[in-house]
Amino acid sequence: MQLPAPLRNFYERWLARRLPSARQIVLDQRRIFIFPTGYGFFYLLVAALLFIGGINYENNLILALSFLLASLFMVAILHTFRNLSALGIRNGDSESGFAGEEGALEIVLFAQRREHHCVWLRWRGQDGQQISIRRGEEESLWLNLPLAERGRVMAPRLKVESRFPLGLLRTWSYVTLDHYCLAWPRPKESLDCPADGGKENQEAFSSGQSGNDEFQGLRSYIPGDSLRRVDWKGYAAGRGLNTKQFEEPVGGRLWLRWDRLPGIGEEQRLSVLCYWILQLDQQRQPYGLALPGLTLAPDTGDVHRWRLLDALAGYPDF
Amino acid sequence: MARIYQVPSHTRLWLALAVLLCSLPQLVKGPPWQAGLLLLVILIRWLVEQQRMTLPGRMVRSLLLIGAVVLTFYSFGRLYGPEAGVALLVSLFALKYLEVVQQRDAYVVIVLGYFVCATALLFSQAPGMFLYVVLCMTVLTTCLVGINHSDTRASGLLHGRRALVITLQAIPLMVVLFLLVPRVAPLWNMQVGGDKARTGMSDSMSPGQISELSESAELAFRVDFQGDMPPRAQRYWRGLTLSHYDGRTWQQAVPQGQPESEYLYQRGSEKPDWYKRLEGRRSPDQQYYRYQVIAEPTQRRWLFSLDVPFPLYGDVSLAKDMRLVANQPVSERFAYRVDSVPAVSAAINLTSQERQLMLSLPEGAGRKARGLAHQWRLESDSASDIAQRALDYFRDQPFHYTLRPPRLTVDPVDDFLFRTRRGFCEHYASSFTFLMRAAGVPARVVVGYQGGERNELGSHLLVRQYDAHAWSEIWLGGHGWTRVDPTGAVAPDRIELGLREALENSEDGRDLLDDLGLRRFSDGGLFAKVSQLMDYVDFRWQTWVLGYDSAFQSEFLEDLLGAVSPVRIAIALIVAVTLLMGLYALFLLWHGGNERLTLMEREYWRLHQRASERGRPLEAGLTPMQLCQAISEQWPQAAIAADNWAKYYQKLHYDPVSLPNKQQKRHLRSLRNRLYKLLD
Repeated sequence: MQLPAPLRNFYERWLARRLPSARQIVLDQRRIFIFPTGYGFFYLLVAALLFIGGINYENNLILALSFLLASLFMVAILHTFRNLSALGIRNGDSESGFAGEEGALEIVLFAQRREHHCVWLRWRGQDGQQISIRRGEEESLWLNLPLAERGRVMAPRLKVESRFPLGLLRTWSYVTLDHYCLAWPRPKESLDCPADGGKENQEAFSSGQSGNDEFQGLRSYIPGDSLRRVDWKGYAAGRGLNTKQFEEPVGGRLWLRWDRLPGIGEEQRLSVLCYWILQLDQQRQPYGLALPGLTLAPDTGDVHRWRLLDALAGYPDF
Repeated sequence: MARIYQVPSHTRLWLALAVLLCSLPQLVKGPPWQAGLLLLVILIRWLVEQQRMTLPGRMVRSLLLIGAVVLTFYSFGRLYGPEAGVALLVSLFALKYLEVVQQRDAYVVIVLGYFVCATALLFSQAPGMFLYVVLCMTVLTTCLVGINHSDTRASGLLHGRRALVITLQAIPLMVVLFLLVPRVAPLWNMQVGGDKARTGMSDSMSPGQISELSESAELAFRVDFQGDMPPRAQRYWRGLTLSHYDGRTWQQAVPQGQPESEYLYQRGSEKPDWYKRLEGRRSPDQQYYRYQVIAEPTQRRWLFSLDVPFPLYGDVSLAKDMRLVANQPVSERFAYRVDSVPAVSAAINLTSQERQLMLSLPEGAGRKARGLAHQWRLESDSASDIAQRALDYFRDQPFHYTLRPPRLTVDPVDDFLFRTRRGFCEHYASSFTFLMRAAGVPARVVVGYQGGERNELGSHLLVRQYDAHAWSEIWLGGHGWTRVDPTGAVAPDRIELGLREALENSEDGRDLLDDLGLRRFSDGGLFAKVSQLMDYVDFRWQTWVLGYDSAFQSEFLEDLLGAVSPVRIAIALIVAVTLLMGLYALFLLWHGGNERLTLMEREYWRLHQRASERGRPLEAGLTPMQLCQAISEQWPQAAIAADNWAKYYQKLHYDPVSLPNKQQKRHLRSLRNRLYKLLD
């Protein structure tokens, strides 16, 4: 059911005022709503029918039965409310993705006071996921998030819902977490690599981070060398402490530069840079990135690629 | 967004149990094919769970449904009416259970279960049955918990526990609603089981009828006295007066042509003359008994009461022969409240037609008896004298009181009076009345119950079928109808002590008692105590629960609230429900002591709170140093004090070696207080 636009806007504003966003939220009575489900109304109808039956047959026990149904309903209000009350929700990790595709956010639920059974979490318009949390424990859920545009995509309002224990009532709360997912630019093919450097710059970086390159040879250990580079096998074989040395790949180090893409829009620049990051990553070329206000040194590998993509997504506020 | 819920495996057993338990009362008393159907359904479901077969398709289910309808028609001869309707409902319940796949189906089964439980209460209203239904409700609630718990690892036992807690919390609320929700008059009339066999006393009396009744220990009615109870010898529960005799059988009669409205007074209708006279004779200093009678169903209209009853409430009328009549046949337990005033009986007049009726005798019967009566009449000068002679006759001649009198032949009156002389109360009452009429004294037979046994726990009176009795009333000028019990002349024990003692003292009675197994509370022993307790529970259930109707309710509410008005009732209802719910909310939402802060945490939060109140709100997750910075930013003059506090706090809190001692704590507090003064 859709409310008319002005009403809906008013409602949204009211909700936003009532439920401000935060990194961590513990649900309390100010945040929890409760209302009978369709079955709950049906159940009340059954109680009413039994009441009429009891009146008509002048049967006090059938009346008592209808009162028992009504009482169960009332007690169920408290139990249903209790199932959501004091449930803690906070930010977890996030998983970035390209604009137009999906990212994911991790929502961590924690139960300080009591167990919470069968809690459903979902963004508006999406399928929910169900989870139960035992007292004193934490559980986390990953919820997919469609990424429309490059940049920081804020977590939409999260609906936390539960019908436990009797399914007669639905209790829910809206939680706006101060949580975001990074949307990388959509890669845009371009022929010219917006990079400088390469073979001629090879020497400049030889002593830097030579981690993922081709093995060159050994030299004796100098204090300060990374322990990870020590040839432990050789040491165990009694050949003394030596440090492994690596050589740069043939292509050398490249710098992808924002400045080398003049004349096109910001987003397109970012898209081209993104394309080349992926290309260079596939070629296992070390590459760095220079954006206005941020410079990331050349390297290779997944973590490096993600760092660069995240930088593109975050541009201009890193 | 359609989700398909399967009923989780941890709930399937509960669902089967719920179906079985809810159907059980009907299966016990219904036709056997119903039990067969349910067993078949449970077997199929079990095989499906075991994956040995698939769920039967629509075709099979339709066939089963048609079969159930046909069998219902075969068993009851119709498809409507309470019995057949309930049988159909229970079959439908079983068949719906057969097709449960989704959560929706389970919901439907549970709702049907509520109705099946309600129908069980239609046929039995014993306390045990209600307890059983509450048990069924708990199991149904367990099913609700189960189908709403979609974790596969959840435990079925925990559902049961949760449902039990919820049900136990609901019961006090139910009691409040039961007591306070106003009773509405029926919207339309319904009767269940109108064609049941009639039990108890019949509307005529012929030799052997009451002695048959005496062989039953069944309950006839119970009486709850407010105040004094008359002694046993005075407890004559009048049921019917019989005025027409055909030589063998006494029957009810009124003078020909008398309309009902003249001898029957229904409360609220116009008062006939005799009733006005009765009321006129009442005065506050007369002795009277106030009591409530709860009659067992008899399917008849007459009721039982002590001499000259004035009905207080209940759907009853008063007849001119001073007995109560229900306005509808008593088909369920029936309660009425009465004031009995023995002294006003003299106010009733005897019209000439009535006198004629009360003297009428069948032609040809009891020639010898008539002769005896004529002789008495000639020898005595008053009606009471004649009665005394008759009683003396019974006392002096060798008459015996026995439950198994010999058969009477052609002329029962003469045969009994002059040959067999062994009889039960009906023989004595009948022949005495005959003698009186023959001697010209208007007389009639009264049948009812005499005595009754007291339940010590409830201090109420139980009147059983074996208390059935017959006696006479004669008309004495100036006194009106006067009770004479000829049985008392023969067997005084019957009146003073009751039937059982009377028989024990007679020669043939003891064996008879053992044959009949007429047991009583007063026997002592555990059995007697238990049955006394059971009777007490049943009686209280009857008066307080089943008898809690609108009249009782308004009386109760008047005691409780002072005066009854819709507003007061509504307020009482809201207050009571709110109180209970508040209590539950406290109990359920109270989070106990698990969140107690340590002293150091409290120290931190106090400062945090103070700073948030005085300045702009601070975030929750600050370290002590960050808190100190936030304070310094807002109140530069407090920077040093804040820094002192934060450093000292850290030093104490994160000291791995020792916990802060008293002195250190005091110092920290003084640092904080110093800081407070700088926060404006």
